[in-house]
Amino acid sequence: MSVNSVREVDSALAVRPTFAHRVSAKLYSNAKLRLRLLIAAPLFWLSLVYVAALLALFVTAFWTMDSFTGEVRVQWNIDNFVQLFTDALYRTVTLRTLGIALAVTFIDILIALPIAFFMAKVASRRMRGILVISILMPLWASYLVKAYAWRSVLSNDGILQWLLRPLGLDTPGYSLVGAALTLGYIWLPYVILPIFTGLEKVPQNILEASSDLGAKTWSTLRLIVFPMLLPAIAAGSIFAFSLTMGDYISINIVGGATQMLGNLVYTNVGTANNLPMAAAIAMIPVAIMFIYLTAIRKTGALDNL
Amino acid sequence: MAENTPAISLRGLTKSFGSVTAVSNLDLDIKSGEFFSMLGPSGSGKTTVLRMIAGFELATSGQVFLDGEDVSAKAPFDRNVNTVFQDYALFPHMTVLENVAYGLRVRGVGKAERNAQALEALETVRLGEFGGRKPSELSGGQRQRVALARAIIVKPKVLLLDEPLGALDLKLREQMQIELKELQRELAITFIFVTHDQEEALTLSDRIAVFNQGKIEQIGTPRELYEHPKTPFVAGFVGTTNIFEADEAKSLFGKSIKASIRPERVEIVKGKSSNTHMGRVIEAIYVGSATRVHIKLDAGPKITALVQSGSTVDESWHRDQEVQVALNEKDLVVLETK
Amino acid sequence: MISKTPLKLSALVVGLALALSGCASSGGASNAKLKALGSNEKTLSLLGWPGYAEDGSNDPKVDWVTPFEKSTGCQVTFKPYGTSDEALNLFKSGDYDVIAASGDATLRLIASGDVQPLNTDLIPNYKNVYPFLKGQAWNTVAGETYGVPHGYGANLLMYNTDVVKPAPTSWDVVFDKASAYKGKVTAYDSPIYIADAAVYLMAHKPELNITNPYALDADQLAAAVDLLKAQKANVGEYWSDYLKSIDSFSTGNSVVGTTWQVIKNSMPAGSHVEAVLPSEGATGWSDSWMVSSTTKSPNCAYAWLNYIDSPKANAAATEYFGEAPATADACQYGSAGFCDSYHAGDAAYAAKIWYWTTPVAKCLDGRTDVKCTDYSAWTKAWQEIKG
Repeated sequence: MSVNSVREVDSALAVRPTFAHRVSAKLYSNAKLRLRLLIAAPLFWLSLVYVAALLALFVTAFWTMDSFTGEVRVQWNIDNFVQLFTDALYRTVTLRTLGIALAVTFIDILIALPIAFFMAKVASRRMRGILVISILMPLWASYLVKAYAWRSVLSNDGILQWLLRPLGLDTPGYSLVGAALTLGYIWLPYVILPIFTGLEKVPQNILEASSDLGAKTWSTLRLIVFPMLLPAIAAGSIFAFSLTMGDYISINIVGGATQMLGNLVYTNVGTANNLPMAAAIAMIPVAIMFIYLTAIRKTGALDNL
Repeated sequence: MAENTPAISLRGLTKSFGSVTAVSNLDLDIKSGEFFSMLGPSGSGKTTVLRMIAGFELATSGQVFLDGEDVSAKAPFDRNVNTVFQDYALFPHMTVLENVAYGLRVRGVGKAERNAQALEALETVRLGEFGGRKPSELSGGQRQRVALARAIIVKPKVLLLDEPLGALDLKLREQMQIELKELQRELAITFIFVTHDQEEALTLSDRIAVFNQGKIEQIGTPRELYEHPKTPFVAGFVGTTNIFEADEAKSLFGKSIKASIRPERVEIVKGKSSNTHMGRVIEAIYVGSATRVHIKLDAGPKITALVQSGSTVDESWHRDQEVQVALNEKDLVVLETK
Repeated sequence: MISKTPLKLSALVVGLALALSGCASSGGASNAKLKALGSNEKTLSLLGWPGYAEDGSNDPKVDWVTPFEKSTGCQVTFKPYGTSDEALNLFKSGDYDVIAASGDATLRLIASGDVQPLNTDLIPNYKNVYPFLKGQAWNTVAGETYGVPHGYGANLLMYNTDVVKPAPTSWDVVFDKASAYKGKVTAYDSPIYIADAAVYLMAHKPELNITNPYALDADQLAAAVDLLKAQKANVGEYWSDYLKSIDSFSTGNSVVGTTWQVIKNSMPAGSHVEAVLPSEGATGWSDSWMVSSTTKSPNCAYAWLNYIDSPKANAAATEYFGEAPATADACQYGSAGFCDSYHAGDAAYAAKIWYWTTPVAKCLDGRTDVKCTDYSAWTKAWQEIKG
């Protein structure tokens, strides 16, 4: 290679900023721009799918439906919301749904705490792996399969009855209690995992310090572990609570003759074909979740999700 | 209780993690009111011993006696010792005052009483005004003092300190060293101090145990360890030193022994005499108060001399400069060979 | 996984679609009847009750779709549905050419313009259909025929013979005497079930002057609602999925309640259940095959309508579902006693059945002095009954 050509190559490398090169250089030096471009597409989706859809839902709630043909008519009114607030039905069902959601959340936290504690602080590394897998496993099974499995568990002559009969008890059957148990089972992994992660974040030496200062196991749990875990528990509760608030399938399969807000939405979309009313009812869980999340934000749980 | 009962006695203490033996067959007595340091490199077993005294680890075999009482099988909350952790382990969700009052709280002391005592303890560590803050709002040195206050409020017989100054910068460290020493004198309780910093150990301790590979190499006062190290490991770990293998010692002193001589005892002299050796400077490092001169002796061994600044022989050495080095046999420390 | 998200999301998406399109379409109904048949298209998409179009995939011996495909060249896809309301929603998607709809859906389909009027001259087998099924309120509007009959049947009373004694002959076991089976009563989960209560009230509360269970004024509806609210205390669960009903009766979670013949026929061997038509009469269905107003396969659709009323296919389809066929000729096929057991062609028996019809404001029983409650009022009432 001649000296000349070397020089040519050199200068080609040094200057001649192509368009792509300039863009790269600009992006390299401008981190903010880089970030914006990177998140533009997902952000667009997010705003379309979530925000716009939620707005559309809200707007729809102010429309009305032709009761015979089942067509939605764009006639602005607040009749749907008036009904929501005046009809005893919606109050009853809202309270029932809230009750189930709280019960499921409570049951799940109660079960998840010792399991997560065992996994994070007691189990060997190998055992922990096995436990994490076995907790995640049910998530691979279809929701319906699990709900129908519980239908069989709760059934007359089912496993639960067989287990409880010697204790003089009976299966709760297809009822609110049955639905709460089923939903509690289905959402349990979503509660265990954040609490497990939260516990892993509690340093071992904090527990040692507590014990060192004279706290027995229970005091350590009550005064140290539980308060430090509160954000993680709150994070888990968001899953159990919100998923239950919107459920309408388990209640159909194992809930017996009762219904939740989700069923009212479903009935209004499916049976009555009354989309505006369904949209109005759907605003109830949205509002409740909003209040719940606002309350929980104070615990720092949202940083924990 | 007899006056001379040790605060801590360890007998045949052994700890294995799987196939790894962290501490092997350790015997140790620590006197009441002593400032005792466990010095060693990381992995030498000193922290494991501390954790076995605290009760966080149970010994694989052997016993821990606290004031003559066998506590080997007892839980940490049943042992009258308290620990200051390396990274302080303050409870992040509690205020400083609540942290300090915690030991009293779990002992069922009423709120007003325990807060008053906690405030007092905070004042001892000069943090009286910080009670309302969260640990995250304090500096490292302040957290350190909170951890101290939290540990001493329950009046332990023995205070265990696990590298408590490790995370602080040099100035703060030196200040805390003084405070720790004063605190120990004030409280008149036994301190067991784990550190890998030999200077810190020498500064603070009444006695030091030097750990190496799960065993104690030597126990002694700082002076004993420095002046009369028994093994090459101790000689090298406590301070810096020149170590001669047997053949090197023979060429210099005519004795076939393993020995060491501290750099400050190596003299550079003007004139030649019977105990001087000729050498050439490899490198001279000026450190302010002194100069560290590395010399290759004509007889073979390399040696380091520490020359005080302002001494009669002090000068700006250059490489390959010829020097006369005087080695006195009285400064020679004979080391054990294995 | 199904969770709250799909429901909410689908509601959201539908809402969004509506918002984007600006308004809801009023249905581009083509009101023109087909004048003549052309050559068959390639595909035909059917929507119907489970068991209405079997191609052998559920049971190799049960197959009347394959012969149709072979003779016409129309490739059939079939989607079964669980309730009339579900059917309506599915059909409104425009994905289906033909629907088998019950009387509580047909009028709504006609009113919304989702189905087209039929030229029965192009359906040779239509002439063989029982006269009492033709020209009825649920398949004919203003003289135009919108659907050809598939078959008909009654909503029966099923009971567990071990538990419910003596054998019931009245619906009172699920209404006034239901408390004897508290928690074990089951009922159909649809607003149209209000008509079952109305049928019962016709016999037991004559002072209400109900003459047609689908024509209830506000007071009559209130009486039916009260009856159903009282029933609810004893209901173990409502069913709309017939498999769920089979499961409940076979485990004993349900011991008495409304059912279909097909459920009784599908009970596992050894189940101790019977199904009867109680003395008060019953609600029932007369299903019609209807053609979408926007179909791209009108010729295949007509071919299917004609085929399903051919004797052999009609017999196979209706016997499999457990209902009476729409034509007398079908009785030559099917197993022995098939037509007798469903009282096929028995006009008097058929008269005891109140076929599902969409309740509308203009009373179906001819009253003009009051407004009747419409289906949306029934839907709302049903939600309140379930609480």
